Amino acid sequence: MDATPTDTGEALARPAGWRGVAADWSSDQRAFKNVSWGKAMMWIFLLSDTFIFSCFLISYMTVRMSTTVPWPNPSEVFALTIGGTSVPLILIAIMTFVLISSSGTMAMAVNFGYRRDRVKTAALMLMTAAFGATFVGMQAFEWTKLIHEGVRPWENPWGAAQFGAAFFMITGFHGTHVTIGVIFLLVIARKVWRGDFDQEKQGFFTSRKGRYEIVEITGLYWHFVDLVWVFIFALFYLW
Amino acid sequence: MAHAAASAEGQQHPVKLYLVVWGWLFVLSAFSYSVDYFHLQGYLRWFLILLLMALKAGLIVAFFMHMAWERLALIYAILIPPVAVLVFVGIMVFESDYTLFMRETFFRLGQG
Amino acid sequence: MVTVLQARTRGMTLMRMPLTVWGIFTATVMALLAFPALFVGAVMMLLDRLLGTSFFMPSLVEMGQHLQHSGGSPILFQHLFWFFGHPEVYIVALPAFGIVSDLISTHARRNIFGYRMMVWAIVAIGALSFVVWAHHMYVSGMNPYFGFFFATTTLIIAIPTAIKVYNWLLTLWHGDIHLTVPMLFALAFIVTFLNGGLTGLFLGNVVVDVPLSDTMFVVAHFHMVMGVAPIMVIFGGIYHWYPKITGRMLNEALGRFHFWVTFLGAYAVFFPMHYLGLLGMPRRYPEIGETSFVPDSAATLNAFISVAALAVGFAQMVFLFNLIWSLSRGRQAGGNPWNATTLEWQTPETPPGHGNWGKELPVVYRWAYDYSVPGAERDFVPQNQPPARRATWEAAP
Repeated sequence: MDATPTDTGEALARPAGWRGVAADWSSDQRAFKNVSWGKAMMWIFLLSDTFIFSCFLISYMTVRMSTTVPWPNPSEVFALTIGGTSVPLILIAIMTFVLISSSGTMAMAVNFGYRRDRVKTAALMLMTAAFGATFVGMQAFEWTKLIHEGVRPWENPWGAAQFGAAFFMITGFHGTHVTIGVIFLLVIARKVWRGDFDQEKQGFFTSRKGRYEIVEITGLYWHFVDLVWVFIFALFYLW
Repeated sequence: MAHAAASAEGQQHPVKLYLVVWGWLFVLSAFSYSVDYFHLQGYLRWFLILLLMALKAGLIVAFFMHMAWERLALIYAILIPPVAVLVFVGIMVFESDYTLFMRETFFRLGQG
Repeated sequence: MVTVLQARTRGMTLMRMPLTVWGIFTATVMALLAFPALFVGAVMMLLDRLLGTSFFMPSLVEMGQHLQHSGGSPILFQHLFWFFGHPEVYIVALPAFGIVSDLISTHARRNIFGYRMMVWAIVAIGALSFVVWAHHMYVSGMNPYFGFFFATTTLIIAIPTAIKVYNWLLTLWHGDIHLTVPMLFALAFIVTFLNGGLTGLFLGNVVVDVPLSDTMFVVAHFHMVMGVAPIMVIFGGIYHWYPKITGRMLNEALGRFHFWVTFLGAYAVFFPMHYLGLLGMPRRYPEIGETSFVPDSAATLNAFISVAALAVGFAQMVFLFNLIWSLSRGRQAGGNPWNATTLEWQTPETPPGHGNWGKELPVVYRWAYDYSVPGAERDFVPQNQPPARRATWEAAP
């Protein structure tokens, strides 16, 4: 409407608070000022993924709340017998701690990535991947155990048929996300290790210069997977 | 490209902060686990589960995912859409109660 | 979506974007948030079908046999589906809203009326569309109290929609209307959309919806508002942008023929359905047989609808022929046949080469609707034209 080119204002300090929101959204070229397109894309993907997991959990909530048959008690179903005593939910607790540990190492990796510490970053990412793989392994163990005990997607010995259905579906989807995350981590860790981002080597697919920022983007994905587990742990196992 | 160079430097925060957050996550997880371990029931259980869940989620998003240091434009863009999910959750709570009520009223005999 | 957010050319603020881009952008955001529900519903249905889970399948007796399923909730599927399905309606409609705004503005040589309101209306419709979904489910057996909530939200969403319709009309008001083929389609859109939107107000009210549910009235409403109206815009858009894509104009005479048969034909098909629906004729029945409430004349009307539909189908053959024929025989279009302001008409080559702009990206100095600016040399000012020094029109709003 006004016929002047807008102030690009990149160098100026940007206002904070609500004024900042308005200023950013009405600014030239980019709405998210200090965010690269790669990071913005990851955030937006995660937002969409949030909706996917939310819909899974909402469906699970609905079938559980509306069933007339008793729901199996997860505390007992997921108990392990250790040294003769049955400890409730212990496997899930260990899995939770494994995943939180992996999140911690990932956060560290991102931090060292920005300090351009090639070796530490790669090592921490590999550690994260190892934790992730452990988590998936434990999940495989959990599935095997339940299947031996007679849990099927269509029935189980203890109550509502939807228990097995929701369990396999939700943990299956989460496990798939973790597996993809592990692969993603290994690929990026290899690139970090080789020093691709120090030499700004061009990527195989994109022929863009690689940057350490990809470590943070990987981190976003990984923390999201952890975040989803927080919700699954609370809503599926603890309910 | 000056801008891209600036963001390539990225965000640097003291390692200690991460360790503290990490520690809290462990502690909170231990709390959630003990909610089950000590067989708390009823509203107290619900309250604790949801509170601990929200705290953990908040810590992860704010510090590990760096949202605490993003500009508000991004924060609102990411945090406002899930309100639609909350509406969906609320509606489905009422819906499931109603479905259960209908089932208990009409399907008592056909229960199998 | 990230392109709009993070990779705009210099000077292109969000509030200078053409409404077409706004419509597509908002629709993309909605797609991103709505499709998860469809995905989840589809996964669970797949599990029900393949693995024998019972998310949606209640205890069923089929052909005298008790099926394996028990305790599933079909209502849950409906909720998931419509949590996707209603935003999807607007995912289809919002780009159409945007495109039609640009068509009207360009072909009426007048700036769009209430640009900011148009943008906010698009955004408001996008946001509200996530809380209206159960108005598709009034007779599904869901919690009856929901009717109140969803009827209210549904009627609220009519407000931004009505704002848009008024703004289109006010853009035309005192405009220099060129009845080109794109403009004809745009006008047809307004009429059709208004028609479908008004019947939407009927159906959004629970008490009116209950007797009309699953009748031909719903078919009429749906096709008017979401079937025919956006398709009018798609056609209008094709006639409008074909010259930019190919460098040649589509044949005008064939285009007019296509328009009138399609527009009048679509009305001949769907308008009688309102009447059939009010008679109580149910939808989705190939043959309804003897009923006490549907008179024989309804069959005649149905036959008429079928004939009209065939005529409309034939007109599309003409359109396809026009698309192919004009590719080599059409009149040379030049870079900007409609004298439009938006960037795509200012590219150095037509059709645009790879990367559209060659070496230098355009810089944007103004919004997309500088038509008939008082005192300007031509009746349009392209978005990338720098401001003239001391030009008289600078003082104009």
